Amino acid sequence: MANSGLQKLSFNMEEDEFIGEKTFQHYCAEFIKHSQQIGDSWEWRPSKDCSDGYMCKIHFQIKSGSVMSHPGASTHGQTCPPMEEAFELPSDDCEVIETAAASKVIKYEYHVLYSCSYQVPVLYFRASFLDGRPLTLKDIWEGVHECYKTRLLQGPWDTITQQEHPILGQPFFVLHPCKTNEFMAPVLKNSRKINKNVNYITSWLSIVGPVVGLNLPLSYAKATSQAE
Amino acid sequence: MTDDKDVLRDVWFGRIPTCFTLYQDEITEREAEPYYLLLPRVSYLTLVTDKVKKHFQKVMRQEDISEIWFEYEGTPLKWHYPIGLLFDLLASSSALPWNITVHFKSFPEKDLLHCPSKDAIEAHFMSCMKEADALKHKSQVINEMQKKDHKQLWMGLQNDRFDQFWAINRKLMEYPAEENGFRYIPFRIYQTTTERPFIQKLFRPVAADGQLHTLGDLLKEVCPSAVDPEDRVSLCRSGWSAVVRSWLTATSTSEFK
Repeated sequence: MANSGLQKLSFNMEEDEFIGEKTFQHYCAEFIKHSQQIGDSWEWRPSKDCSDGYMCKIHFQIKSGSVMSHPGASTHGQTCPPMEEAFELPSDDCEVIETAAASKVIKYEYHVLYSCSYQVPVLYFRASFLDGRPLTLKDIWEGVHECYKTRLLQGPWDTITQQEHPILGQPFFVLHPCKTNEFMAPVLKNSRKINKNVNYITSWLSIVGPVVGLNLPLSYAKATSQAE
Repeated sequence: MTDDKDVLRDVWFGRIPTCFTLYQDEITEREAEPYYLLLPRVSYLTLVTDKVKKHFQKVMRQEDISEIWFEYEGTPLKWHYPIGLLFDLLASSSALPWNITVHFKSFPEKDLLHCPSKDAIEAHFMSCMKEADALKHKSQVINEMQKKDHKQLWMGLQNDRFDQFWAINRKLMEYPAEENGFRYIPFRIYQTTTERPFIQKLFRPVAADGQLHTLGDLLKEVCPSAVDPEDRVSLCRSGWSAVVRSWLTATSTSEFK
């Protein structure tokens, strides 16, 4: 992406830890382009009146720890923490999902929305069994790697609460956005220093995602720096 | 602000006469009488219904009781919405008292947030206050307050103490003399006709030419379907409730001409 394109976006270089909504949507579009290239199943969902929307990813996980992506997606090249094992999906993967005990397969949903109040992205997530029973926050935490649990309890992003999804109106868990600028500022400052292009969404999601069980393959970072 | 004091008091002390009836499928040891209560419009259901809960639990066995939730004509009531908002959206065209059904089983996980404690209500309330100040003052005013000031806002709401609340809230309603208003107006527009729970957008109180925006200007810009072509704001069309959530904590009525 050309630098001149970047300058046209509402990116205030002084308050660089905040991003405007158009900039947010641009970074999401770039992020999704790469997601499509590697089969990571992120997609953009517009709201009914199409005035805005959000990024969404669904993945399925068997409680024993094996990861299955959304059918059709490849799991090659993913970097996973030790608790997950990536494996090739058999061709009739829908059957595989059905034969696994319904109570043991968990559907995780991650939504990235824009907060106009805080001018930062916000991560919403929820998880449920295939029969619709939702997981509690405690259940979700049990799937998070130990080292992230400590960080979550200490870090600036220290609140996960249940809130109403502002577009869907349903209960989701949310990582509170009010401290986002605190941890994004040094990331962006540093990237400016070393004159490197940064996709705000990629950097932000790679920080907050793992804390709630969402991992980003390293290729996202490489995709950003190549996109000139 | 002092001119608005009467209006602020009327908003704060608004009440809705409500009749709580236990859901017929709940298991009781004796018949459960309905319970009547005047609900404060500015408060939250789970904050003001301890007496309702106690009243119905008296006729039930412990093992038949789990998290309480409320419903009106089949619609689960979101406790995190102010009571006045719920009433205006769902029941304002019906005769009083507002008839609410009380449930202790089958919590609707897909529709309602859990309310595990009073702390959860306080956290939600303070989160709303903080978000409003993020819009008004880039969070500067609320972040400069001490913890005891935050606590006073909450206690004022919880204990129905207008003066206690406004002693702190008035600071959140001020802006520098050189500005003509807040950075952005905190507002949400709720409609029953849309899937989206509310409309919330950035909206400046002052136009580029220095003119103060009116409520009509705001509605025309963010919710044009509410404004009819003859330039009148039709707030009473069926299915559309005139709920610009006045966010009493965040907007002065003098902002709107």
